[in-house]
Order: sequence, then C-alpha cells, then structure tokens
Amino acid sequence: MTAIIEAINLRKTYMMGKVPVEALCGVSFSVEAGDFISILGPSGSGKSTMLNLIGALDKPTSGTMLIDGVNVGKLNDARLSELRLKIGFVFQSFNLIPRLSAKANVELPMSVADMNKARCSKRAIKLLEIVGLKERMNHKPTELSGGQQQRVAIARALANNPRFLLLDEPTGNVDSKTAHEIMSLVHRLNKENGVSIIMVTHDQELARTARRTIKMFDGEIQSDMVN
Amino acid sequence: MKTFDILGYSFSTIRLRKLRAALTTLGITIGILAIVAMLTITQGFQVAVTDELNSGLSTNSLIVTPGSSQGGSEGGVTISLDDSGFKLYLNDTSDIQNLSPDIDSVLAVISKVGMVESDYLNSSVHVYGVDYETYARIYSTFDAESGTIPTNPKNDTIVIGSSVSDPDKNGTQFIVPGDSINLVWLNVSARPFENKTYTAQVSGVLGAVGGFGFGGPSDSGVYIPLSTAESFFGTDVCDMIIVKLTNSDEDTIARVTDLIRDHFGNQVSVISSTAIISLLSTVFTTIQLFLFGIAAISLLVAGISIMNIMIVSLIERTREIGILKALGMKSRTVLMIFLGESVIIGFIGAILGIIGGWITAKAVVWVLGSGLIIGTGGGGLAITPVLTPIVLFGSLAFGVGISVIFALYPAWRASKLKPVDALRQD
Ligand SMILES: Nc1ncnc2c1ncn2[C@@H]1O[C@H](COP(=O)(O)OP(=O)(O)O)[C@@H](O)[C@H]1O
Ligand SMILES: [Mg+2]
Repeated sequence: MTAIIEAINLRKTYMMGKVPVEALCGVSFSVEAGDFISILGPSGSGKSTMLNLIGALDKPTSGTMLIDGVNVGKLNDARLSELRLKIGFVFQSFNLIPRLSAKANVELPMSVADMNKARCSKRAIKLLEIVGLKERMNHKPTELSGGQQQRVAIARALANNPRFLLLDEPTGNVDSKTAHEIMSLVHRLNKENGVSIIMVTHDQELARTARRTIKMFDGEIQSDMVN
Repeated sequence: MKTFDILGYSFSTIRLRKLRAALTTLGITIGILAIVAMLTITQGFQVAVTDELNSGLSTNSLIVTPGSSQGGSEGGVTISLDDSGFKLYLNDTSDIQNLSPDIDSVLAVISKVGMVESDYLNSSVHVYGVDYETYARIYSTFDAESGTIPTNPKNDTIVIGSSVSDPDKNGTQFIVPGDSINLVWLNVSARPFENKTYTAQVSGVLGAVGGFGFGGPSDSGVYIPLSTAESFFGTDVCDMIIVKLTNSDEDTIARVTDLIRDHFGNQVSVISSTAIISLLSTVFTTIQLFLFGIAAISLLVAGISIMNIMIVSLIERTREIGILKALGMKSRTVLMIFLGESVIIGFIGAILGIIGGWITAKAVVWVLGSGLIIGTGGGGLAITPVLTPIVLFGSLAFGVGISVIFALYPAWRASKLKPVDALRQD
C-alpha cells in the first residue's frame, strides 16, 4: 500500500494577539490508502488543527505535509483549491449552506469542479441514496434533523470521489442513536466503497472502532496504535 | 466553476435578501432614470432646435458683415465690434462673386429698423432690402404662405413676415396680400432727423419661420426690393452680404471664408451656418455634461450603498465563504460570485432606470403643455424626447459599471478570506 498522506515534523503556531500558541509541536505520521484512522484527544490538544492541515485548509508553520506526494506548504492559492476538491471534509457543525436544498448542497462541490448540471444532479441523487436521504433531497437543512444534516454533509464530502474523507467530531452535535447511524455509514463507506477515513473524536469508544488510533495531547502524538 | 453556475449562485444569494436587493437596485434605478430622463429631453430639445435652425439657415451659405474678425479662421463664430468704420458696399457683391468658382450667388442686404403703418395697426419692423429671386434661392423659408413673391417686383412691392401680419399668432391677419401699407423710417443720420415714408403694396406673407432665421427670413421682417431700399434709405452701403456656395463641404466653406476675409483685408467677419450649428452643439454638449454630472452624483450614492450592502453581506456570509473555499472553490470564483451579484443588481437597476427615465421624459414633455411650447421669438418648438443608442447602451453600461466598481473592494475582501479563519466565525 502507498501513503496518501505523509506528515513530517508538523508544527503549527497561532498568534493570539502577541502571544504565540503552539497548537502542534512537531508531529509525524503517515496514512495509507483504504485505512480507517481515528484521532483521539482532549479538547484543545490540536486535533482540528491537524485535520485542517491534512485537508489543505491551512498550511503548517513548519514541517512537511504531503498529500498524494504533493507538498501542501508549497502550493499557491489556486492549486490549494484544486487539491481541496479531492478531499472530503465533514465538520462537527455540518456547515451546510442554509438556503440550498440537501440536493443542491451535495451538487455544490461538483459544480465547483466544473461538472455539468445533469451529471451533478444524477450523482447527488445517488449519493443521497447511499446516505439514506433520497426522500429528503429537496428539504432545506433547517428542515432536517442534526443526524440527517450530517449525512447530507457526508454525501457532499463524497461528491467529487475524494481520495479520503476527513471527519472532525462528526457525532459531536448529534444524539447517541444518530451517532451510531452515522458511524455505521462511515464504516460502510470504508468497507464497501474503499474510502480512506480519518476521523477526529474525543470519544474513546468511537475511536476504538477505527483500525488505528492516534492519541494526541498538547499538540503532540502520544501514541499511534492499531486497535 | 461555470459562468452560468456562478451567476446562478449569485442570484440565489440575492433572492435570499429580496428587500435589501430591491432597495439597492432602486438606488441604481433612480440614478439611471435621472440620467436617461435628462439626456433624452435635452437631446430632444437639441434635435428640435437644430431642425429649426436647419430650416431657417442655409447650410451652404456664408454671412459677411463688416468688422474685423478675430479668432480662428475656420468654424469660429466671432462677435466683432464694428469700430473700424469699414463698410460693405452693394457693388462689393460682384467682386465676391469673382473670388471663387465655388460661389453660386451673392446677395447684398440692406437692413434698417422701420415702422409699418396699416389701417389696423402700427408696428416696428426690420426692413430688409433684398433681391427676391436670389434670396428665395438661398433660403427656402422665403416663401409666401399667402400671396406671391414676384421674381420681378415693382418698386413698391413688399413681402412681410408672418408675425407682422398676424402679431398675436392666432390666425387673425391684420395685413393680407393686396393691402397698402406705409413704411416709415427715421433717418437719424440726417440733421435734423428726417422721417421718410412711402406706400407699399403687400404682395405676399411668409409662413412662420421661428426664431432662428439668422441671415434668413424672420417673422418680424418686411422685405422690399434692393433698388427700392437703395433709393428709400439713400445709401449704397449694405449691412450684410450673403454668399451662397455651390456645395456645403467644410473645405469649401473654410476656403471661401478665407478668400473673402483676405479680399477685405480682414475687415469683415464671415460666419457660416455650420459654425453656428457647431457652436450650438457645443453649448448643448456642455449642458448635457452638466446635467449628466448632476445625475451621476446620485448614481455615485447608489454605488456607495452597493458597497455598504456588500460589506454587510460579506460579514454575514463569512462562514459560507469559508465553506465554499473548503469545498475547493477558487478565490477567483468567490470574487466572481460577489461581482456577479453586483452585475445582476446593476443590470436590473439600469434596465428599470432606462424604462423609468423614458417614461419620465415623456411625462415631463407632456406636462409642460401637450407638445411643449417654448416661446422662442417667432414660432413654437415641439420637443419629443430622443433616446439614442449611445444613451441607451451607455447608461446600461454605466449602471452595471458603477455597481461592479463599488463591489470590487468587498468582493476582493471576500475572495481573500482564509477558509480556516472564515469557518471559525459564527
Ligand atoms: N485560529 C486560531 N487562532 C489562535 N489559536 C487557535 C486557533 N485555532 C486553534 N487555536 C488554538 O490551538 C489549540 C489547538 O486547537 P484545536 O486544534 O482546535 O484543538 P482541538 O480540535 O483538539 O480541540 C487550542 O489551544 C486553540 O485555542
Ligand atoms: Mg476541534
């Protein structure tokens, strides 16, 4: 198997006014295609910061972040955007566009990727079917429950056939029954569709369902083990 | 992202805030409305005046009057003070005729202020001594509406302007062809002053010309044969010489103008009707620019309100922009979405403004008296608003342009947002 993600000595320092905050203090790891990894750690340990770097939403202060062998730190703005098209990102707070229907939300990344309307529509319906929301495709996010919104978000993340799916506390804003449904969807995507998964969580139980868990604390990797 | 999809996305954001978008659009609409209304009315006015001028003036004639002409040689209209004592004489006409083959005919005009006495009214008039045949050839308006203008007039023949016959312009003619009238002139050069009178037979009454008969027939003029004028006024000095050219090329006008000036040692001024029209068009352009400037200010205000609204919208939509960028949207596309909104607002606003401006112009013209009558000396002037393609497409482009320009800064700021920062907002 080949590494689709390779992080080498990543550091990320935020400036809180004039005070530097070390969110990541030199982390290294690699992820292979088809893997299912959970990143576990308490709040403020740097999990989201790391996921943002993997998702090319941000650049490291130092160190190297390779995605598919491409050094993210060296990409210009336009190339970064192109890279993001190949990454599926699911946020804790869903981040759907409120005025667009479920279907239009799923179509959006495909439309951004220049896909024509008819194909966008066909694929959006298929993806909503996979996440079990085909019947609700014309509903606005506000007309859907938290769990349904998160499933729309997952469908949207899968729209452009991403190399991997990044989930930042995907069950943080939903009840435990819905959390279970979402987790089984994620597992199914991993097993049946071969989608590589990296999931951030602070829930030990959830983390253990992954094939491998990276434990973080204070911006450092504490352990990196196969469950 | 495809252009169509970008516009579609822009449109979906406009639809979200209908009232806000409507008010922003209204700003553009009002600005464009003001511009279109003002320009279509002034252009309509210009067309009316120019038409009037073209019928009162002869485009291929030059008017030579005594007085040194300062200023440029071509096209300039110079007002000269006759302080040199230089005079034009009736026999100068043959010299002018020989100056150039481009000269068709030359007409001497003796013009004095006199008085007409008839059975019903006395009125002060301009008396012109002209050769009827030549005068009619130069000015198509020297044409009798009633009676005739004889080619070989008798010594006591007189042709009168329409308002001499009908001073109230209501169709009541106090003097008609066949009437005898007394022409009175006070000779102030004689010592003591001498009152001269003779009885003339009215042969024709001219149709109304309007107020712009520069050199040409005027409504308040009376026309007597040149020889009669010469003996009645006791002079061989003429006040004006009108030169008709074989064509109205600018070259010809400029060349003959120079020839005549040189011939009289620069002691005459030569004015072409082309020069008058071009002077007038300069005046109109200035007026239009001024009005445009005023209207443009309101558009500027509309532009600022677009910028204001866009900045508010940018702040409200920071998170959304973060999402779009996280999904892989390029900064350029974010920029285009914001500019797309301004294009839609500018376009709709401008179209409504053009329609509204046109309606306003029509209404203004209608309100100022069905068919708007402006007293311009002799006749009335009917204005119809004129919407030229330049005004139409120009104001459309201006409306869209202003909204795009003022959207540039907010759009640029939106495009520069970093996804992580934008997503942290709520
Ligand atoms: N944009 C930012 N500016 C300043 N500090 C930040 C920013 N993002 C994260 N941090 C800080 O970095 C640390 C790690 O944050 P984060 O990666 O969000 O942790 P987690 O997701 O594990 O809760 C925290 O102390 C947080 O306050
Ligand atoms: Mg976090």
